Amino acid sequence: MKNSLVLTIFSIFLLTTVYVFASETDKAEEYDEDTYGPEAPVIWQSPVKGVIFYHKIHTMENELDCDSCHDDVFEMESGAAEEQEDFTMEAMYEGKYCGVCHDGDMAFASDKRCTLCHIGVRGVERLSAKESAEEGKGH
Amino acid sequence: MKIKELEKLKNEGTVNLPSRERRTFLKMGFLITGVYLGGKILSLTSVSKAFASGSVPHKKEYPYAPHYSMVIRESRCIDCELCKEACVETNQVPSYGSRTDVLERRRPIEYDAYETIFMPILCNHCNRPPCVRVCPTTATWKDEKTGIVMMNRSRCIGCKTCMTACPYNARYFKEEGRYVDKCDFCLESRLSKGETETACSAACPADVRIFGDLADESSRVFKLLHTPETIVWVLRPETGALPNVYYTNA
Repeated sequence: MKNSLVLTIFSIFLLTTVYVFASETDKAEEYDEDTYGPEAPVIWQSPVKGVIFYHKIHTMENELDCDSCHDDVFEMESGAAEEQEDFTMEAMYEGKYCGVCHDGDMAFASDKRCTLCHIGVRGVERLSAKESAEEGKGH
Repeated sequence: MKIKELEKLKNEGTVNLPSRERRTFLKMGFLITGVYLGGKILSLTSVSKAFASGSVPHKKEYPYAPHYSMVIRESRCIDCELCKEACVETNQVPSYGSRTDVLERRRPIEYDAYETIFMPILCNHCNRPPCVRVCPTTATWKDEKTGIVMMNRSRCIGCKTCMTACPYNARYFKEEGRYVDKCDFCLESRLSKGETETACSAACPADVRIFGDLADESSRVFKLLHTPETIVWVLRPETGALPNVYYTNA
């Protein structure tokens, strides 16, 4: 009688431990880069420094698929937009690049909420400091 | 009288005091109160003459020609720091100091989000400069003609009192010459050579810094400060320094 009780309690303890460990590894795999694009933010430094773009906000939170922008609006290539001569706010007001959706109707206009994307030199420095701190600690 | 004799005296009370003594006492009391009250009233009236309605000086009350000032359109600043780079290159600003800087603050907005606001700062070329007031060697002074707070580096002894006095932290100590340096609206590097704009104002891609002559009614700075329904403010007005750099949201 006593032995079976001890056995039951021990097995419950064992199962809970296994469950806890299993769920910990699950969280790290929630963001799938193949479906949602790179998790790390895109940082543009030209023509002005300190501009940021998060794929997560557009693909995961607002449920856009890759075709909405790639490859008509933006090339799926790191640094490609910065090489374009006309990657400017003027172009966005005319409906190019981000201006395709950020026109005031589909999403907020390109001449509003500037500092959401223009996090500035300070913002980028903070981001890279945070990243290197996290790398140092290790996941 | 010796203390022992004083101790033995009885308190005679006020009834038998001659009225002349009472009158002198009252007269002294009124005199002191009168001087104090008069001073109080005088200090209140002098405030109305100085730049009364808000921070922008009144028309036709510009003591300088040209009256150089800068208007900063704060909502357009994106901290690209091209102004800082231009200033460093034009005026040989060392890496440990700055003639101009961009500050950052966050403001809570709806839906638990925050808005970032960038604020460029520089020497305000105040109309009542605290730095000029405290300089022991007159190494810094406000130019009579242009209103720019100037710096004579050979007279500077590096006491750094001006750095302490400045309410805007606009000055820094330059090790390479052992003198205190600050923004001079690019007078030495650009304005004296025929340019009409400061380096930072020319470099800004977002049209944030507008430099010009406030006394000229056709200038952009004048128009920006005198457009109806726009809010104009200065930094730290409570210091009484009367800055010449204005911030607007227009």
